Amino acid sequence: MGVVALKLSDTTLGRVMCRPKGVIAGTWLILVVFVAVFAPYLTPYEYDIQDLPNAFRAPDAAHWLGTDEFGRDMLTRIMYGARTSLSVSTIAIGISVFCGMCLGAASGYFGGRFDRAVTAVIDLTWSFPEILVALILVAIIGPGVTGAMVAIGVAYLALFTRLTRSQIMAIKSETFVEASRSLGASHGHILMRHLLPNTLAPVIVAAMLATGDAIILEATLGFFGLGAQPPTPSWGGLMSSGTAQMFKAPWIIIIPGVAVAVTVFAINLFGDALIHALDVRARVRES
Amino acid sequence: MLGYFIRRVLVLIPVSLAVSMVIFSIIHLIPGDPIDNLLKIGAGPEQREIMTARYGLDKPLAVQYWIWLSGVLQGDLGTAIVARRPVADLIAQALPHSLALGLCALAFSTFFGIVLGTIAALNRDRWPDQLIMTVVLLGSTVPGFWLGLLLILVFSVWLGMFPVSGARDWSAMVLPVLTVGLGGTALVARVTRVAMVEAGQRDFLMLLHAKGMRPARIQLRHVLRHALIPVVTILSLRIGWILGGAVTVEVVFARPGLGTLLIKSLNQHDYPVVQACLLILAMAVMLGTLAGDLIQAAMDPRVRAAL
Amino acid sequence: MKFTKHLLAASVSVAAIIATAPAVFAQEATIVLPSNTVGLTSYNPVTAILTNAASFLIFDRLVEVDAARSYHPHLAESWEEAEDGMSWVFHLKQGVTFHNGVPFNAQTIADWLPLYDGTDNAYYTAAIDSIQVVDEYTVKFVMKHPEPNLLYNLAIMGVPEPKSFVAMGENFGVTETIGTGPYKLESFDIGQQTVLVRNDDYTWGSPVAKNTGPAKFEHLTFREIAEASTAFLELKTGGVDMLLSVPADFVPEVEKQSDLKLVSVPGRELVYMVMNVVKEPFTDIKVREAAALAINQQEILDNIYGGIGQVADTFLISALPEAKVADDYRISFNPDKANALLDEAGWTMGADGVRMKDGQPLEVSLWTQSDSVFRRLSEVVQAQLKAVGISAEIATFDSAMIRDQYKSGEQQVAVRSYVWDNADIVDWFFGGDRLGYPNISMFNDPKAEELRAAAMTGSKSSDERIANFTAYHEYVLSQFPFAPIYQPVVSVGYNTSRISMPEVFDAPGIGSTVLMDMAPVE
Repeated sequence: MGVVALKLSDTTLGRVMCRPKGVIAGTWLILVVFVAVFAPYLTPYEYDIQDLPNAFRAPDAAHWLGTDEFGRDMLTRIMYGARTSLSVSTIAIGISVFCGMCLGAASGYFGGRFDRAVTAVIDLTWSFPEILVALILVAIIGPGVTGAMVAIGVAYLALFTRLTRSQIMAIKSETFVEASRSLGASHGHILMRHLLPNTLAPVIVAAMLATGDAIILEATLGFFGLGAQPPTPSWGGLMSSGTAQMFKAPWIIIIPGVAVAVTVFAINLFGDALIHALDVRARVRES
Repeated sequence: MLGYFIRRVLVLIPVSLAVSMVIFSIIHLIPGDPIDNLLKIGAGPEQREIMTARYGLDKPLAVQYWIWLSGVLQGDLGTAIVARRPVADLIAQALPHSLALGLCALAFSTFFGIVLGTIAALNRDRWPDQLIMTVVLLGSTVPGFWLGLLLILVFSVWLGMFPVSGARDWSAMVLPVLTVGLGGTALVARVTRVAMVEAGQRDFLMLLHAKGMRPARIQLRHVLRHALIPVVTILSLRIGWILGGAVTVEVVFARPGLGTLLIKSLNQHDYPVVQACLLILAMAVMLGTLAGDLIQAAMDPRVRAAL
Repeated sequence: MKFTKHLLAASVSVAAIIATAPAVFAQEATIVLPSNTVGLTSYNPVTAILTNAASFLIFDRLVEVDAARSYHPHLAESWEEAEDGMSWVFHLKQGVTFHNGVPFNAQTIADWLPLYDGTDNAYYTAAIDSIQVVDEYTVKFVMKHPEPNLLYNLAIMGVPEPKSFVAMGENFGVTETIGTGPYKLESFDIGQQTVLVRNDDYTWGSPVAKNTGPAKFEHLTFREIAEASTAFLELKTGGVDMLLSVPADFVPEVEKQSDLKLVSVPGRELVYMVMNVVKEPFTDIKVREAAALAINQQEILDNIYGGIGQVADTFLISALPEAKVADDYRISFNPDKANALLDEAGWTMGADGVRMKDGQPLEVSLWTQSDSVFRRLSEVVQAQLKAVGISAEIATFDSAMIRDQYKSGEQQVAVRSYVWDNADIVDWFFGGDRLGYPNISMFNDPKAEELRAAAMTGSKSSDERIANFTAYHEYVLSQFPFAPIYQPVVSVGYNTSRISMPEVFDAPGIGSTVLMDMAPVE
């Protein structure tokens, strides 16, 4: 191989980053991930050591974002909270993308009774608000990080199954697939080589946008006390513990909420840029 | 059209049965025994058996399901185990609160969503469009419960304009409606804008322009009308969300609605109540979807012709 | 069809909810019940083990207690105890009628008391052998053994109308309830609110309250708000008129506001951490003692409760004579001893600050209820246990549900509280026949059972009862099934533009005495 002159604007990521929206959103997301990964090296405070006499301190030089009800540094808690929120939501969406693609591909490709059964179940859960699905699942699995992950993963399963299925249905009768089949290719080969790669682009975009929703869902579960259990911080858990004192120390609920909103906003902007870059139609957002 | 309607309604029957079965079996996976609440202190296993038998919880799951289902079909939702009263009474108390909140929020988000979406579409890619779409996007990325808390903080605690919680009168509705409605507004505005832009590129509009009709009139009379089809579809799909989507907001505002009832019964393992709540939510979702399809069929000449 | 009717009613009330304007009458007050009484399932004075202030207004009692814990007439005008304590005679008030018009007389008592047999509250009447109707307004109790605590029990026991009680079965107290009290039950939405309407015929109030006639408010609404901070915000913003218990956290905030007023009532609550003595690692008394000594009561008082109230060092509120145990039995913070005990028990400190024994970490599950004050307290307890090398994972349960959860016996350690002002609470929470709930610790010790029997049934006089209960209490303390934490002061907060109240209450807690003297502001 010779020297490949990789032009930035030829890559998908490059095209995303060429748009101003994409740059701003991308920078914020990289920053959040960086902070989540390197939290222990970025703050002089521990996230779980209580300092009760210093509880409810308003933001100042020592604690840039103030302290919480146990005197712990809010900025530190937010940084560690980013770890919980990001890992729970990305892993959950990962689970649901993987399972959804398998289910959707199988039911779209093979059709028949299996397809009808899957579609019926998926349509039903899809029309249920995700928060309800997640709440019931957490009641079954039990609260905590694992429970939240599985619950969120299942709540978004329907989205990816539907999306993959509809994509497969659309292209499974196209000429190149028919050609491959007449040449004697196995089902597995056709699925893996021809069909799934073609569904990837819209799934990536949908996964991006769903991760944003999953962060909100994780925060909501955390707010109900069903997410990460104390003293592990999560953005939702931080807001939950601040509720009781909101008239006295409003920063305890305001700051984590802003962190959630800005991050989800950035994910959406980045997703928009990705839609243009990947040339997937706006339909993905509406589905 | 009538045939289509009948077909759709008939399909609902097996689907509802399946739904009721799923709901019933899922609930029995939740750990915890509601009978604990009824047992007297120091009660032995015999008393537990007696109580379990009294509520029919000792029978095989399939039999329990059949008893429950035949009750539901006769309009009897059973008796709440922890709350100790007919489930129908509890639902009847809670449902109006959820419906009132949901309908007002729906009206709010429909009105503001269409207005904002139209303004954005008419000013496509200019600053009003970008401003509206950015604000609207931000609105949909804010967690509902957090928005509710902020509204309580600002309007109830600091300004003292509205009640903090409960459902005494209309003033207690304002903040919850705002909270639920703002999220919906974002969706409606986005769909309206996209639909307006797409409808605006149709060929027949050229004809109207050519015939000399005023552009504003074209936009409002023809483009908007066409754009409303997807908007109505999306909205009707959300009819089920009117009841179920506001769970967190109901809890934040301590409104005694269906969501609050569901969460409380879930925490207290009061199975009959959880079952009834979920069944009603599922029915609302299915009827909403049906209504959406029918409305779509009635509004869109192409779909209507295809029936 | 039943449900169709409901749906119709529901759709009508949707319109009503949207359309109704606020209707505020001076004759009406909204009161928030303390969060520890949230979850009452019925107003049944015989079977319920949880009561709230509203039940004190629906039902009257034979006797009433004042702040100094002495007894005064109510439905009983006077009484005599036999020299040997083996019989009591009560002379009843005449002209008293129940809400349904049935007259109250000696036969009522004879029909009512046997209803307690076989219920969770059977111990109230356990000492009574038989009840004799002497004449229409005189009744005599023949005792199995002397019961120095009889008047205390009678001051708690609300009198229901016995015939309706039997006829209505389990619906009594749920859909309808009938007493002789100053208010009638108008509606009861479980977990939400209870609306009471004035009993205009009421003339038989206890002289402990200044007002013995009909109550001053026509309607009272008691709201149940599990979240203390929401309740406080409602009071602050005028959504409700009164909080029967302002959490200590919010006391300074209420004091700041000019239209709100606080009245303190001596507390009857005790917050504690309880350990399950039949679950590892708490089967080892050294581990229990270490965990108990790891609790820093003063730190909790100062930081969670704003320094209001006092620390607890026994199982009883300090106003009770049985709380005066020898100093050796008092349990208070001693981290050095806690660490030494754990070392002795073979739990050695691991690298991550969690102790280990035989390759197992010292990990426990800490149960708590879902309201914010308890969650906060539990996080501090979690940190305090961690400081001596015990890692606790918090499990949160619905406040109304957690009592049932204990019945499973799965708990290891829990943070909770009770409200009671009699030493027999030691029997209630540590008696060997109530394992699970209320005996969350599963404590069942032969020596304790012996001392308990002596205290409950073997005391001939008040003094003897105090001595017996002190001995029983001391023994329970020595076994460390729990760690005392905190005793609050009850602060009633109310809106002075809506309600007027006497400056001091002649009552040991919030009951009918306090609520009868409450009046609307003209």
